[in-house]
Amino acid sequence: MSIVIKNLCKSYKGNLVLDNLNLEIKQGSLFGLLGPNGAGKTTLVSILNFLIPKDSGTILVDNMDLDKEENKIKSICSIVPQTYAFYPKLTAFENLEFFGSLYGLRKEALKKRIEYCIEVTSLEKYINKQAHTFSGGLKRRLNIAIGLLNSPKILYLDEPTVGIDPQSRKYILNVIKKINEKENTTIIYTSHYMEEVEYLCDEIAILDKSKIILQEKKEKLLQKNSIIKIKLLDEIIEVDTKDGFDNFTKMIAKLEKENKRIENIDFGYKNLEDMFLNLTKQDLRD
Amino acid sequence: MFKYLLKKEFTLIFRDLHALLVLFVMPVIFILIMSLALKNSYSNSVDTPLKVAITSSKNNKYIKTMIESINENNFFDANFLKVKDNKEILYKENYDFIVDIQRNYIERIKLNDKNFKVIIYSKPDTSLQKIEILKKLISSASTKLILEDLMLAQKIDTKNVLDFESKIQNAYVYKKDGFEVTPTSVQQSVPAWLVFSMFFILIPISNTFINEKAFGTIDRIRSINVSLFPILLGKIVPYYFINQVQVVFMILVGMYIVPILGGDSLVIQGSIPLIFLVSSAVSFASISFALLIANIAKTTEEATTIGGVSNIILAAIGGIMVPKFVMPKFMQDFSEYSPMSWGLESFLEVFVRGGSFNDISTYVYNMITFAIICLLLAYILLKKRR
Repeated sequence: MSIVIKNLCKSYKGNLVLDNLNLEIKQGSLFGLLGPNGAGKTTLVSILNFLIPKDSGTILVDNMDLDKEENKIKSICSIVPQTYAFYPKLTAFENLEFFGSLYGLRKEALKKRIEYCIEVTSLEKYINKQAHTFSGGLKRRLNIAIGLLNSPKILYLDEPTVGIDPQSRKYILNVIKKINEKENTTIIYTSHYMEEVEYLCDEIAILDKSKIILQEKKEKLLQKNSIIKIKLLDEIIEVDTKDGFDNFTKMIAKLEKENKRIENIDFGYKNLEDMFLNLTKQDLRD
Repeated sequence: MFKYLLKKEFTLIFRDLHALLVLFVMPVIFILIMSLALKNSYSNSVDTPLKVAITSSKNNKYIKTMIESINENNFFDANFLKVKDNKEILYKENYDFIVDIQRNYIERIKLNDKNFKVIIYSKPDTSLQKIEILKKLISSASTKLILEDLMLAQKIDTKNVLDFESKIQNAYVYKKDGFEVTPTSVQQSVPAWLVFSMFFILIPISNTFINEKAFGTIDRIRSINVSLFPILLGKIVPYYFINQVQVVFMILVGMYIVPILGGDSLVIQGSIPLIFLVSSAVSFASISFALLIANIAKTTEEATTIGGVSNIILAAIGGIMVPKFVMPKFMQDFSEYSPMSWGLESFLEVFVRGGSFNDISTYVYNMITFAIICLLLAYILLKKRR
């Protein structure tokens, strides 16, 4: 296991934000962490990155105890926060050079790694421009590029596509996929965008009201929630197949018996957003 | 890594035009204005002496001698005037004083007649000090006139007695042998506004630091395997360097720019190592104070307000805005608690009084202690962010 979290608790001023949270994330997986506002996603990511302390529970990162191996864990992890965590008045190169030096990279090694990060995020044209002149998409790409400087084994991406256009978002998602595939980096991706997680991740967990309410492989999850729509002349019949295809074959037999003409059969599934809303209920969160 | 920390900080400073204006242009303007504005306060002569109209029903030898006597003082320009309307003369012709003297008042004094009148008319905003000086001049001139007649009658040589005041000489005593610096406004204003501007390093430090907090850059740095100590040190060193550049720049302005505009030239006779020691202590205190404010404030607006206001208060009580010697005793005692006062007094000891290390050691220790306390609090607050 890459990350194992057991009975993790965290509260702020008496409010329980994470309540006996248990989670396992496999090495090399592209893990989507979903949850409504205030669910505790950023708190969890912050604890994993030593930005805030946990109250109780155990966390193992790459078999190392978070309480005992801070320096070693820090050296294999990296975070791309929600905010543009770089210096707007520095150029993209100066930002990369500065953060690279904090990771202990020097001279040729630093230069090579910067070149790689620039290439992965396609920032070549903008490398000598000050970051405050960048569009939202470019800023997000620079944010990710900085996160890649230490060749992390585990990369935390906390809502990395907030506030950017669809083209940039698509590009960033592909970059993340590429990083995962090329370097076998474990990626923990938190987002509000269901379609992003659906497109990107191979495993999904939904965090709500301080607890993990669902953790499943994406394919299994979608299969479990697949739905077949049989279109007749005057009505559409939805057949739930989460327990297998028996219901579907029975329904076809029944319709044939009743001599009903089938116009069309649509093999689909409920999308992640439907599942998410269903699981977290649809009430508005603060 | 430290090299890149310094490089980052210097790049950010040099790309922050507003901060550079605050650190270099603002104090230059203050030094120029205050050196020229306060020039007369430290000088034996003035460009615009106080205008005095001596009025009487008739101009006679006593009035003439009185005017001559008043005019011996460089701060006053007296002349005889027939005045019909006090208001018109004071406000329209912009006289500072009208002195209404009875033409035969000297005779009346000699005859022991106490019913003579000398009235000084002035505007309500005239300082009592100026009125008192004019009173003394009139009184002294009158005494001279009476004594002169008596001494002539007694055949006593009046020269030595009546010119006694001019025989009294002032000699400045400096702490260092061979040190001779005439007190001028520029000797006071350069150290004062230099200390003030060094403390304004707070603006760029807090802006950078709060932006680092707001953008999550500090969190990103904390998630990296790097100690906070070099991060803080990486902030102190570049701003210390900027402070030292300020010191050299302001001294050069005092030496070469102020005289061009008609002010006195700054004279540096004090020990250069001591000036360096004082500037280092002031710098350490101002940077640590800035780091503390940057850790307390949540937004740049908050830091600018807290930092700006506290700097102005420290300057006001520290003798930067108003020289300490014009303050009443309790205010002078109170000013001993301002770090700016410690910095200013140290600079004045070295610049003006030719002081040695012993004369500034208490101020230097105070500044270093203040800096260490601020730095520790800043470090604790930064750690506490977890």
